Amino acid sequence: MEEKIHAIYAAAETALSQTTKEEEIEEIRVRFLGRKGELTQILRGLGELPSEKRSFIGKLANEIKTKIEHAIQSKLDTIRASRFSRLIDEEWIDVSLDSPRSTGEYSRGHLHPISQIQYEIEDIFTSMGFTILDGPEVETDYYNFEALNIPWYHPARDMQDTFWTEDGNLLRTHTSAIQVRGMETHRPPFRVIGPGRVFRYEATDASHENTFYQVEGMMVDREISVAHLIYFMKVLLREIFKTEVTIRLRPGYFPFVEPGFELDIHCLICNGKGCSVCKQSGWVELLPCGLVHPNVLRYGNIDPDQWSGFAFGLGLNRLVMMRYGINDIRHFLSGDIRFVCQF
Amino acid sequence: MWLSWNTLSDLVDLTNLSVEEVVERLTMSTAEIESIEPMNPHLAQVIAAKIIDIMPHPHADKLTLVDVDTGKEKVRIVCGAPNHKKGDIVALAPCGTTLKEGFTVHKTKIRGEESCGMLCSEKELGLSDDHSGIIILPPHTQLGKPLNEIFKEWYDVRIEIDNKSITHRPDLWCHEGFAREIAALFGRKLIDPVDYSIEKSFGKSDALAVVIENGDAAPRYCGLYVKNINIAPSPSWLKARITAIGMRPINNIVDITNYVMSEIGEPMHAFDRKKLRGNTIIVRMARDGEPITTLDGNTHVLSKDDIVIADAGGPIALAGVMGGGESEIDDSTQEIVLEAANFNPIHIRRTAGRYNLRTEAAIRFEKSLDPELCPRAIIRCYQLIKEIIPQAEAITSIVDAYPKKLKKISITTSFSFIRRKLGTNISNSEICNILKSLQFTITESGDTLSIEVPSFRATKDISIPDDIVEEVGRIHGYDNIEPKAPLVPCAPPEKNEKRAFERLIKDIMVKDNHLIEVSNYSFVGEAQLKKLGLSSDKELKLKNPLSMEQDRLRRSLLPNLFNNAALNQRFRDEFQIFELGRVYLKDDKQSPNLAQEKTFVAGIVYARKPSTPLYYRARQIISLLLSKLNIKNFHIIPETTSLPPYAHPGRSAIVRAMDKEIGLIGELHPATIEALDMKGHGAFFDLDVDALMAAEKLPQKFTELPRFPEVPFEVSVLAPSREYAANLCDIVRASTQLVRSCEIISIYEGAPIPLGKKSVSLKVVFGSNEKTLEPSQIDELQKTVIAALEKNGYALR
Repeated sequence: MEEKIHAIYAAAETALSQTTKEEEIEEIRVRFLGRKGELTQILRGLGELPSEKRSFIGKLANEIKTKIEHAIQSKLDTIRASRFSRLIDEEWIDVSLDSPRSTGEYSRGHLHPISQIQYEIEDIFTSMGFTILDGPEVETDYYNFEALNIPWYHPARDMQDTFWTEDGNLLRTHTSAIQVRGMETHRPPFRVIGPGRVFRYEATDASHENTFYQVEGMMVDREISVAHLIYFMKVLLREIFKTEVTIRLRPGYFPFVEPGFELDIHCLICNGKGCSVCKQSGWVELLPCGLVHPNVLRYGNIDPDQWSGFAFGLGLNRLVMMRYGINDIRHFLSGDIRFVCQF
Repeated sequence: MWLSWNTLSDLVDLTNLSVEEVVERLTMSTAEIESIEPMNPHLAQVIAAKIIDIMPHPHADKLTLVDVDTGKEKVRIVCGAPNHKKGDIVALAPCGTTLKEGFTVHKTKIRGEESCGMLCSEKELGLSDDHSGIIILPPHTQLGKPLNEIFKEWYDVRIEIDNKSITHRPDLWCHEGFAREIAALFGRKLIDPVDYSIEKSFGKSDALAVVIENGDAAPRYCGLYVKNINIAPSPSWLKARITAIGMRPINNIVDITNYVMSEIGEPMHAFDRKKLRGNTIIVRMARDGEPITTLDGNTHVLSKDDIVIADAGGPIALAGVMGGGESEIDDSTQEIVLEAANFNPIHIRRTAGRYNLRTEAAIRFEKSLDPELCPRAIIRCYQLIKEIIPQAEAITSIVDAYPKKLKKISITTSFSFIRRKLGTNISNSEICNILKSLQFTITESGDTLSIEVPSFRATKDISIPDDIVEEVGRIHGYDNIEPKAPLVPCAPPEKNEKRAFERLIKDIMVKDNHLIEVSNYSFVGEAQLKKLGLSSDKELKLKNPLSMEQDRLRRSLLPNLFNNAALNQRFRDEFQIFELGRVYLKDDKQSPNLAQEKTFVAGIVYARKPSTPLYYRARQIISLLLSKLNIKNFHIIPETTSLPPYAHPGRSAIVRAMDKEIGLIGELHPATIEALDMKGHGAFFDLDVDALMAAEKLPQKFTELPRFPEVPFEVSVLAPSREYAANLCDIVRASTQLVRSCEIISIYEGAPIPLGKKSVSLKVVFGSNEKTLEPSQIDELQKTVIAALEKNGYALR
């Protein structure tokens, strides 16, 4: 009996040494340790042995069983380890590279910087209760000039060189045209902004474009004052530039506001010390604003004795240029993706 | 416009004020200042010195060695001038002086002889163009005295005003206007340069008459007949003043009229009396076709909209713009007629524009000048003539035609209104002081404030209480107003759905589709459209385009996007771009007069060597967009015939939503690729955003997950190779209600499939909401599907 047990162990060892596959190991386990396995038979037959032999054989058979179990496990571990190491070897890739591109896969998208700033400003103003308005880009003389207190003979028309269309209309020279349309559709009190594209009949160079973007803003309520205007402008600029901005208001003439202002900010490049960007003045002219002229309110069918308001116009191209240090306004409409992809 | 500090100091007390502080206050309260420029700063360094000896230069015939005494030391100068002699007092520029035109004097050797400075001519000092010899100063000039103390008038600072910032202020187009502002800002005394007593010396002759035919066009005309004129160069002080404001000195009379314009703001003119025909000056509208030759030598054919000054023989000046050549004063002029008039700004502006003559006179008249200036200007002008030509004599008094009197403007407002508008607690007394300092006449009565506007502010600038608010605010200083949040109800604003929708589209394009947003001009040009095979002339054209390339408004975003692709192929082998913007359709009017504007989103996908047709990428972009927008029932339908010329007829499809055509997807026609000089391939898409917004959206609702197992089934059939395989799925889906989905998993052409055919493999999924399908039922379903396909001519493989 004892020899038989040793023989089983030897057979198991031989079988294990001859295999390299995980499935075969299972077969070996069944052959020796399974329900009908060779060693299992012996263990089952222990009861038939004389009692003096029983404990000795039993002990031996259990020892051998453990040894076979260990041998199986260790063989299994070896095989698995070598399978994984082969796989890992086969699956080596060059991790120094970026993802290889195939058609249909493209790098990230980019929103045009004007869209980005426009959305930022829209969000700032909507959070303060302003409604976003729209208007046509091809406008009538009435909305672009006349209702803004700029009659046909007014010299201010020279300040805004205008594209005229063959049908007697014009390309709006400022988003202020949206103001008038806003007053037609909204009864006071209201707060509105009108972002959009505007046009000037002007030769282009690094600082002049014939097409650019503005945001017009207007608030009409009881007793709106210069102090309120300054408050909103300060909040707006703080939000845009993410820092407290020093501003100053100077008189500025625009027929649709009275009083009218030019709002300057401390040059962000030199912090007001004077540099080439601000022409050594320390200040950069940023946005025209003022209290809405009573005539303009009247054109919008609003009684200036009951209501007053402020309005402002903000040039978006200028803002983006200041923020990122862009030195040529022509980049915006160049269609060159090397420009857009920087933002 | 230039202002001379010296001229300003004649009009307002500037004692102890620096140019910088004046400019700072003017910037904050009045106008934009472009620059500050010292005039002839070198005069402070150049000194008077006496020639004590002159010796010939040993190596040069035309040079001399000059020893001069500066009062402190003796220096030797090598000098090339021909006009100096021993004992002369001359102007010495010591080493280190930078003269006019940036030339710096250095210690140097000239032909071997040392020279420690330079003796200067008038030209080198910036006093005139005279370079014939060095300047010889009066004999008793104190040695060592700096020249800025001798030529005080030439040592000046000039301030450049930004003209655009004073278009609304006719009163600011002269020194006096700014002097008034400075007086108000600094509480200084204003000095009136006009000596009205001189009027008493005017003669009583009737040798001049003025007739104004149209008082609306010319509200006022003042003339003065002056004889015993002697035309000569102006005295040095006047030349200095004229030079400082950026003009060239001409002669005494012209310089005086220009000076009066720059001093008190009234453009003036002087006619040679002997060249006038008759005694009467007629101010009238020009006759259509009437010619005039102006001072600049150009001849203009006038229209009845122009105002002319005429005599018995015809026009002698284009009123308010430029004098006529025939009546121009010259060196022999002995008698003149001085003119100071007032014209309708609208006429002047149009005339100046029509003949491209934006003269100093025109830019002032078009701002609405104060007619009260006319007689003042005549008196001031005569005062200066008498000073410079003492024998001159006014033989008439001021001949003043004034048919259209300036209306006095009175404004009634209140202190509380001003405070409310400014949002600051400025006191009654400060308000009064400010208004008085600006020469408003005020009457207080409790809170009420009655204001009379001075004539120089009354022509268009100030007419309503809000204008008074501005006057108070700007002098008070806007920086002194504390920002204040308004007290208003707090509620979420009304939402602009269109804007939000546009933004959503852009976000999907960028974040989900990974496209790059570009922005293009709204303009296109004929050549560009022709290249794409588009018939031109449907676009709304500009009357005044900047160029042929941008002479009309786009009807589609695509032409400019195609150009973007042609540009960017130079930088990248693969890219995908889009634009969301407006197109302008003149054939569809929206509100009464305006061309319809529609918003589109369009784009182009480019690849130099695409591995699969780019059409599929464009289609993928649009499918994703439409599904993210929840567009209900959208279809992408193949189209081969009714396509724009730039679309590839074998690779294009129309996008429909709820049976409305809303866009197009396609690859570029090979001819377009060639015309655009593109090296690779391109696919485009073009969608109507307004239609997308109007399209019905799928409600967002939960659908029960399938409770019973779904059974897949794959089948391959033969189809003609040019058959749209998507049709097969339609057939399968229509064959039985238990088809959950059907998709094409592969298409194969080539052996053993017969030529002209392709094998299409479909994956069909069956499923029921009520029960698990029995094997027999599945078998039945498969047969139904196959039968449906076969019935339509697609044989099983």
